[in-house]
Amino acid sequence: MTSRVMAEFDLLLPYSVSEAVTLLASHGDKAAVLAGGTDLLVALKFDYAVENIISLAQVPGLDKLTYDPEGGLTIGARVTLVDILKSADVKEHYPALWQAAKVFATPQLRNTATVLGNILRASPAGDCSLALYALGGTLTLESASGRREVDLDDFWLSYGVTARKNDELAIALQVPAPQAGQKSAFRRMTRVTEDLSKLNAAVCLQMDGDKCLSARVAMGCVGPTLVRLPKVEKILRQAGITPDLLQEISDTVASEIAPIDDIRSSADYRLKVAGVLVKRVIMLALNGGNDQ
Amino acid sequence: MEDLKVVGKRVERVDVRAKVTGGALYAADVQLAGMLYGKIVRCYDHAHARVTSLDLSEAAKCKGVIKVLGPKDVTQKEYNASVLDMMVSADMRGVLGDIDDQSIFTDHVKHYGDAIAAVIATSEEAAERAAEKIRVTYEELPVYMTAEAAKHPDALQFRPEKPGNLAFQLPEMAFPDNAYAWGDVEDSFAGADIIVEDSFYVPKQKQCQMEPGTYIALYDDQKRLNCWTSTQMPKLVQKKLANLFELPMTRVRINITVIGGGFGARLGMVLEPETCALAMAVPGRPVKLLSTREEDWVTSPSRHPGKYWMKMGFKKDGTPVACDARFENYKGAYYVDASGTAFTTGAWLGGMYKFDSLRYRGESYYTNQSICGAFRGYGNPQTNFVMEQMVDRGCAELGVDPIEWRRKWHKTIGDDGWCIGVPYNSCALDECLDRASAAIGWTEKRAKYKNQTGTVRRGIGVAVMNHTSGAMPMLLEHTVCDVLMHQDATVTINLACSDMGQGSHTTLRQVAAETLGFPYEDVHMSVGDTDAAGFDIGAHASRTLYVGGGAVKQACEDVRRQLFDRAALELEEDVGNLYMEDKIIHVKGSSNKSISVQTIADQGVNNFMNPETGELIGQPGQIQGYASFFPPHNAPPFGATIAEVEVDMETGEVRVIELVNAHDVGRAIHPGVVEGQLDGGAQQGLGMVLTEETYYDDKGICLNNNFTDYKMFGPSDMPKMTNILVENPDPTGPFGAKGVGEAGIVPPVGATANAIFNAIGIQILEAPITPEKILKALAEKEKGLS
Ligand SMILES: Cc1cc2nc3c(=O)[nH]c(=O)nc-3n(C[C@H](O)[C@H](O)[C@H](O)COP(=O)(O)OP(=O)(O)OC[C@H]3O[C@@H](n4cnc5c(N)ncnc54)[C@H](O)[C@@H]3O)c2cc1C
Repeated sequence: MTSRVMAEFDLLLPYSVSEAVTLLASHGDKAAVLAGGTDLLVALKFDYAVENIISLAQVPGLDKLTYDPEGGLTIGARVTLVDILKSADVKEHYPALWQAAKVFATPQLRNTATVLGNILRASPAGDCSLALYALGGTLTLESASGRREVDLDDFWLSYGVTARKNDELAIALQVPAPQAGQKSAFRRMTRVTEDLSKLNAAVCLQMDGDKCLSARVAMGCVGPTLVRLPKVEKILRQAGITPDLLQEISDTVASEIAPIDDIRSSADYRLKVAGVLVKRVIMLALNGGNDQ
Repeated sequence: MEDLKVVGKRVERVDVRAKVTGGALYAADVQLAGMLYGKIVRCYDHAHARVTSLDLSEAAKCKGVIKVLGPKDVTQKEYNASVLDMMVSADMRGVLGDIDDQSIFTDHVKHYGDAIAAVIATSEEAAERAAEKIRVTYEELPVYMTAEAAKHPDALQFRPEKPGNLAFQLPEMAFPDNAYAWGDVEDSFAGADIIVEDSFYVPKQKQCQMEPGTYIALYDDQKRLNCWTSTQMPKLVQKKLANLFELPMTRVRINITVIGGGFGARLGMVLEPETCALAMAVPGRPVKLLSTREEDWVTSPSRHPGKYWMKMGFKKDGTPVACDARFENYKGAYYVDASGTAFTTGAWLGGMYKFDSLRYRGESYYTNQSICGAFRGYGNPQTNFVMEQMVDRGCAELGVDPIEWRRKWHKTIGDDGWCIGVPYNSCALDECLDRASAAIGWTEKRAKYKNQTGTVRRGIGVAVMNHTSGAMPMLLEHTVCDVLMHQDATVTINLACSDMGQGSHTTLRQVAAETLGFPYEDVHMSVGDTDAAGFDIGAHASRTLYVGGGAVKQACEDVRRQLFDRAALELEEDVGNLYMEDKIIHVKGSSNKSISVQTIADQGVNNFMNPETGELIGQPGQIQGYASFFPPHNAPPFGATIAEVEVDMETGEVRVIELVNAHDVGRAIHPGVVEGQLDGGAQQGLGMVLTEETYYDDKGICLNNNFTDYKMFGPSDMPKMTNILVENPDPTGPFGAKGVGEAGIVPPVGATANAIFNAIGIQILEAPITPEKILKALAEKEKGLS
């Protein structure tokens, strides 16, 4: 049951990353980081209480979204969904991420919600997280004792739980530069247009002409965390993408996922259509973002 | 009707500026000196339980707490939040058997969210913190979520006076054999060549009005109970509160705040009793009660869900010989509108087609769901989902075109309407069907979609509906209107009709200006204070323009008559020789003999005596018009919707591509207002048929009383939509107008279901028609074939 009244907390406003990590070091598990707040405020109005909220609003340098053909894409901790949508580089080189941002939430939400907030929330339905999972990336975490990097593949541990320690601030996500022939796409299924996903899928294919050299295929809403589909990735490796191959993939998907019944859909339905969704997201990647 | 100056024009709505700029004062915006805040403690652990202990002591000690109230600290009187008992005559009241079975706080929890106790404190925060300290223990009771469960012989009885948990069935006294019926269905079925029959489920849809319930009450130093509320029914709520707190009506005052949407959710009382009970406990201090969305969800009524069985028989040539139906609704924890909807659901069925015989049975069973009551359409969307699918199944078996069949067999002028014995007096449904069919290209598309094999298949479907404008003669439709002519010849209209956002204050003002022959700007609407306004039954049943407009028209005619009488006296002419133009009354054929309305109005108040002689000038006194208006009929609106959809055979997903709504509106007093009603109605209709349902777990805990998991159609889900307004003036409506408030929600329900049937060849019997259900049905069909 939500409340019109939030639990009391102190709002801390650091003016630099070092101030922020100092605050995190002293408050530890009694603090939460506030980026766009679109997850955190929902939780606070529900039943979540925390003594300190450390806002990133005044921390400079975290809002950078940069692309470099060699080094790839860097997404700062305060980069919003609207920033992603406005970036021609993202649209061209990381279509999966752009497509996820495009259907994400509502215009108001996209103005404030951040990409890193989506990753840190560790929801098994996270749309941008899923696109980035397929694209691959490394998260930079900083604490008073230094920086470390964590591969997204190792970041989500279980429902809502990540490898981040509670004195760490996520600074940025690094996504590798695409190689020639890289194609990616994202697709989701919802109950109505503006909704959380009931099933989502993203792929990143390294293509050489009609042949797929390697692939990363990820799905959401089919387990406690986002998952990759190793069998499907294996089928795609060094394979020509034919209707028969797509059918084989479609038939394989169900064996790699463990969805549950919930209010958004049923396990049975998800098992039935997951293969269709994966098949379609592959087609979408190959068609450069155009359906059919 | 020729030469209308204000009626039919898209004038600026009276509420639009305040709403767009944020200036509109909703109840939540009202701040009064010394305001206190209430918080109700509700049971969210069980849907059915008995309170075994209630400990208020810790809460009472909390900072800022003024009072803590349990069931014994407030009136013990039971009530019924619905106002239906006040809409019918005393004889009918007895027949209906409505009972009072709600109390302010309860020790017998009957649904998730039932109210146990409350805190009054100096701030919302303090009230909520203290409420968390109230300790309640419960003894769990078995939970009955459906009619089937509630009628089981071993089921616990909700009310001793309603055995078998049957809250209502059509009473034998008024409905022999407990049925709304004509002819002999058994006989008629015996002569049928084709019989179709099935059992459907219709969902527990919620109004989802934007403003969650917020109320303020003050028991003042005059011992008057004041309540600020956005109710749809100020005058009936005034009386209901007077009854509940045993006060004369002069000591109960309702102040209507801007209403943030109603759709039936505010038809009758919602949390007015609780708020007033809190205020009575702290005389002299206003108490504000703000609901969260989740709380609003479980305290205001929903649409009646339930099982709806129907059987139809046809002759080979298409003649509809018989229709038999039964709607068993899952009423919820309290009686509220148990009788009304159970009856009207069948009334709409009876009002549609020329069956030789028809029998409808409607039953309301108590369940441990939250209450059901009024919701836009009042049973009509449920009937549309079932009736229109059954007709299309019949048409498929007969091999006839669904539009052709409907054109031939729908009821029309002279046939009994939704109320047996009250014939229709106007009907333009044929024109609706013709124009909708032409607009969407029905014939070509129907042919084109016949033999599809692809992954994505299209379908096109139609549905029709009949509705009402007010509920005469079933309910005592009545509005009182005063028109006050100021000295400067502008007027104030005073009445209790509420505007829930449907635009009624704008259209009523148009009716007033047109009748008076004054500019729109010269008319002001004064509404919302029950001290000042006379009776009005309230905004329900698409009646505000039809009945309220009738009252405004009659009261303005009264003003006009008085003006002409005075002019005749002044000009020494027969009234019949006078006419008015630009607020000047002229003598026909005599260009220099005239008097302005301004002069008459001024004379009556400021200038009625010669100061030297003491002689009266003209006719002294301020002009005031009055009407206590009862409509002669219920001006039936008709409508047709054609929907085109696309179904994904691999995922079961449905995309609505286009909707054409053609409605027989009598006359569009304000075309933009009518279109707004049809757009919004269609949006809710599509939600009901495709996505909206309240889900409970097996313990009766509601799983989606919030917008995260209750999914309505939003603007981005809406298809291309065309509204065709068929204007065929009704002989009894003001300027020919019929009600349009509810009609828009109804036929999109059946039309969309039929379009899906057309696309995939399967009828989905349970609404909402989700992708999950479609895929399952497709798989079952496949299995059946292989
Ligand atoms: C109406 C609505 C619709 C939504 N629709 C979608 C949707 O379509 N798809 C979807 O995936 N999600 C959706 N969401 C969820 C939410 O908007 C996203 O998860 C969003 O990306 C969160 O970003 P934020 O900046 O608002 O995060 P916040 O709420 O600020 O933070 C989220 C979590 O991450 C932590 N955190 C944030 N930044 C950091 C950091 N730099 N270092 C350490 N910890 C950090 C916070 O402490 C918190 O626990 C929706 C939410 C709402 C309310």
